Amino acid sequence: MASVSEMYDVTWEEMRDKLRKWREDNHRNSEQIVDVGEELINEHASKLGDDIWIIYEQVMIAALDCSRDDLAWTCLQELKRQFPGSQRVKRLAGMRLEALEKYEDASKQYDSILQDDPTNTAARKRKISILKAQGKSAEAIRELNEYLEQFVGDQEAWHELSELYINEHDYGKAAFCLEELMMTNPHNHLYCEQYAEVKYTQGGLENLELSRKYFAQALKLNNRNMRALFGLYMSASHIAASPKVNATVKKSNVKYAAWATNQINRAYQLAGRGTKENKCSVKAVEEMLESMQITMS
Amino acid sequence: MSIKLTTQAYCKMLLHAAKYPHCAVNGLLVAEKQKEKKKDSHSTPILCVDCIPLFHGTLALAPMLEVALTLIDTWCKENKYVIAGYYQANERTKDFRPNQVAERVAARIAENFSEAAMIMVDSTRFTMGCYEPILAIYDHHENKWKCRDCNVDCFEDWCEAQKITSALLEGRSYESLIDFDNHLDDLRNDWTNPEINKSVLHLC
Repeated sequence: MASVSEMYDVTWEEMRDKLRKWREDNHRNSEQIVDVGEELINEHASKLGDDIWIIYEQVMIAALDCSRDDLAWTCLQELKRQFPGSQRVKRLAGMRLEALEKYEDASKQYDSILQDDPTNTAARKRKISILKAQGKSAEAIRELNEYLEQFVGDQEAWHELSELYINEHDYGKAAFCLEELMMTNPHNHLYCEQYAEVKYTQGGLENLELSRKYFAQALKLNNRNMRALFGLYMSASHIAASPKVNATVKKSNVKYAAWATNQINRAYQLAGRGTKENKCSVKAVEEMLESMQITMS
Repeated sequence: MSIKLTTQAYCKMLLHAAKYPHCAVNGLLVAEKQKEKKKDSHSTPILCVDCIPLFHGTLALAPMLEVALTLIDTWCKENKYVIAGYYQANERTKDFRPNQVAERVAARIAENFSEAAMIMVDSTRFTMGCYEPILAIYDHHENKWKCRDCNVDCFEDWCEAQKITSALLEGRSYESLIDFDNHLDDLRNDWTNPEINKSVLHLC
């Protein structure tokens, strides 16, 4: 089989930089990471310098995702040798046990980390992941709530909790988590847009109006967020169609929906330029928006 | 009332699940619109000719799902299709029971198409070789979803489906599969997946 460098005509430096980008963006493209990382480790280890250790960690986790226990084991051994007694490496060993579904052994591993260092957040979060993997959502939620009482600033944890609540259809609590995230990240359009989606799903006129406002806010922060644009259209349309609103509110929401329609059509026109296939998408969107206008009045 | 799947429909469903092994995924199945309603239509099974992958990750939020259903419904009308089914693969491999999301969406589809089917993908039996069908098909009877045994009869041509799905998995075609989420990220991404459709046709 051809090597990655041959297939894509890239140098080892480019491969290393790609791995770094994936690390920074927290991408879970494990198959690609394994392909690129394994080659880098096997062929170019000496050139990587101290970068190799973080690459071993990244490739090991990706290898676990791909059931490549051989590769994961190799990476783990290298890390153990270089960093004996490290908590970070112990956590990786725990993750390997999780991947092998040896949850009790993994839990013991994390407990031993926590005995030495009770503030080790990584180990606590792994224990919660085990609960999630076992389908024990209620317990995972409880543990995560306890964790967040101590580590209130952990955004990854707040986001994970919001997802757990959404999966349990507890939209009120999911909204609370997203509110925490929006407070600490007021410029993040994704949190705004997700909050709007949760509010929309909760339903009811008040929540719909809130959702429309937050879709609009997300658009203000990033005018190319299509979910926010569609969301603005849907929420404004539903409000305008509601029998509970007065004529003024109805009129404003019809205006918002019309504005959103224009923007959506423009976005599709822009995207459809040049490709024959996308023209059907453009047409479908136009028709969809038209048909919804009729049902709205 | 039974449904049958074409190779293209089955293939894209499995490719979707393969692209996001760590997420829940869902999507729709479409069938060709029947011209006349025959009195004895119970004997002819509904053929699901295509699959539209929808979302991956969090499935339990309403707005984008509504957009997708409306948009795809419009597209179906243009192409003389009808939305005939819903599929879902849960986040946890060992969990292949339908949940509230699956039942709600499938019920909504059943409002417009009484013989709609709900399909759950059993990831525990998902292999590269695709040696057996890994679906659980549910039919709507008296407000409940009842599981029907899924075997090779549920496919238009099981041998072809098995061969082609396996080939596309080996070739990592799932990397280029587009679902509705990908489309919302970049409108140029085409959720009808013409390239994959071509690959399937090519291998037939």
